[in-house]
Amino acid sequence: MSEAIIEVNQLTKQFKSNRAVYNADFKISKGEIFGLIGKNGAGKSTLLKMIGGLIHPSKGEIHLFDHTVKGNHTYFERMGLLIENPGFFPNYSAYKNLELIAISYGLKNRKKHIFELLELVGLDKLNKSKVKNYSMGMKQRLGIAAALLGSPDVLILDEPINGLDPQGISEIRKLILKLNIAGMTILISSHILEELSKVATKYAIIHEGEILEIISTEELLLQCEERVELEVDEANIIIPLLENDLNINNYKVLTNQMIHIYDTHVENKQIINVLVENKMAVHSITKYKQSLEQYFLQRTGREGESFD
Amino acid sequence: MNPLINLLKMEFNRFFTNNMMYILLVIFMAFQVFGIFMIKQYEQPDQEGILLSTMNESQFIQAMLSQTPSWVMMYIMVFSVYFYMSEYNAGFYKNYISMKNARIYSVISKILILGLFTLLMFIVMLVSDLIGRAIFFENAAIGDLQYFFKLLVGQFLLHWAFAIVILCITMLLKNMIASIIIGLVLVLNVFGVAVSLLESLVWDLNLSSYLLINTIVSVMDFNELQTVIHVVIAALAFMMLFSFVAVRYKLNEDLR
Ligand SMILES: Nc1ncnc2c1ncn2[C@@H]1O[C@H](COP(=O)(O)OP(=O)(O)OP(=O)(O)O)[C@@H](O)[C@H]1O
Ligand SMILES: [Mg+2]
Repeated sequence: MSEAIIEVNQLTKQFKSNRAVYNADFKISKGEIFGLIGKNGAGKSTLLKMIGGLIHPSKGEIHLFDHTVKGNHTYFERMGLLIENPGFFPNYSAYKNLELIAISYGLKNRKKHIFELLELVGLDKLNKSKVKNYSMGMKQRLGIAAALLGSPDVLILDEPINGLDPQGISEIRKLILKLNIAGMTILISSHILEELSKVATKYAIIHEGEILEIISTEELLLQCEERVELEVDEANIIIPLLENDLNINNYKVLTNQMIHIYDTHVENKQIINVLVENKMAVHSITKYKQSLEQYFLQRTGREGESFD
Repeated sequence: MNPLINLLKMEFNRFFTNNMMYILLVIFMAFQVFGIFMIKQYEQPDQEGILLSTMNESQFIQAMLSQTPSWVMMYIMVFSVYFYMSEYNAGFYKNYISMKNARIYSVISKILILGLFTLLMFIVMLVSDLIGRAIFFENAAIGDLQYFFKLLVGQFLLHWAFAIVILCITMLLKNMIASIIIGLVLVLNVFGVAVSLLESLVWDLNLSSYLLINTIVSVMDFNELQTVIHVVIAALAFMMLFSFVAVRYKLNEDLR
């Protein structure tokens, strides 16, 4: 058994009229990259804020590093947080902001430490301009640097790729993997499963405040359902055949030459047989795994909208 | 090392690299000296027939602090709101608030910083009084030193307590404008005057004289032990009450 670094039991947060998180239960073991996925308003930030000690749960327990966090006695110092927007003084430079944080942690060798971090997240360490003049992506990088200050054991990143360009996303992804290899446990949230899947080792799907499913990367890939991609000459002639002879209703016509069939009850050879019987040309027929995004949307009850 | 010391160091660093702090002190100094110049121009004897320009420093401080609005309180109020809200709006607390006991320590360090600002205000007030009075009144007399010392310590504690009251109100309101408006109402002592008036209708006691701002603005004789005790009780009571409320509130607060 690997050591559980974070464990939450029946964790609930009720805002006045709004239940943001309800009865969340999960464990995060040392060395995992735990991905929390949910759409806007699902409760990701609220859940992370409770674990990070920014807000108090209405109900339930949080265990961190084998300590129960009760009432106001916190035990959060071995965590680095980036939740929602990074918190910086707009009128100070990046260096000054990090310096203030480093002082509050009582870090020695501040300058060296801060320069290393700025370099690590791809910011110019000699940039004297005020943080308020930073672009969104630069602020986000600085937020990651702040979370890494003081070498935490656990890193909590709430939508860390927000506002980053593709190059930035790939850099941050590499950074996350690198930190993880060095032993850091990472809890990361996103509303894009595809993006998470490039780093996470385990996922929790959160929807309307409830954790619907906890699944490892392997299970997720196995479970991803299949689709048949059919390449033909004239889709509009073939559709009635599929509907009437094979009872296929769940499909999408991409172009007049390409049909995606999501009904899993039919075999490829059945489709081929029907088309051959009707003297229709088939250029190709391929079975495809369902995309991660569709898998996620399906769990959260919005699969219809994925075809718009 | 002690986390309280670390947080305090951080707040000190922020305090001394903060332009707003210096700007407020410089403006205060300029207006204080200018105010003394204006007093000289339009001077009238007060009710007891004493001219401000002939007063010693103790009398002069008491005369200035008893005016409403008191500028010293005004600057302390603005700084207290600003110092808390600038951090709150920036969300900077997120970087350290999850540390053990950081909520308690962050309030304590802010209270200490406000004490420091109050101290700087008093030093600037003394320096500008002495400069202004020496130039325009040709009178830099301080008077009885023991009296002067008791007055300064007493008023310092009262003003520090006032800063803590404002900090507490700002924490609850989480809004710069609203806090400044409430602060102004307090500086103008609308509340204290109203309570005193009501009290005089109800009974013979004068408990409202123990209200913080009533104590600040009343001219009292610090030679009497009674006065010293009154001032110390009012200051400590308000400091402890509002520090306690502020810490309690911070402990239970859900942060953005
Ligand atoms: N302070 C608050 N007071 C009242 N309701 C809140 C508060 N914070 C969040 N909520 C509500 O809780 C729910 C979950 O919000 P949360 O910010 O956790 O979602 P999220 O998953 O992080 O969304 P996003 O992807 O948009 O960041 C929302 O319905 C939100 O309106
Ligand atoms: Mg969020």
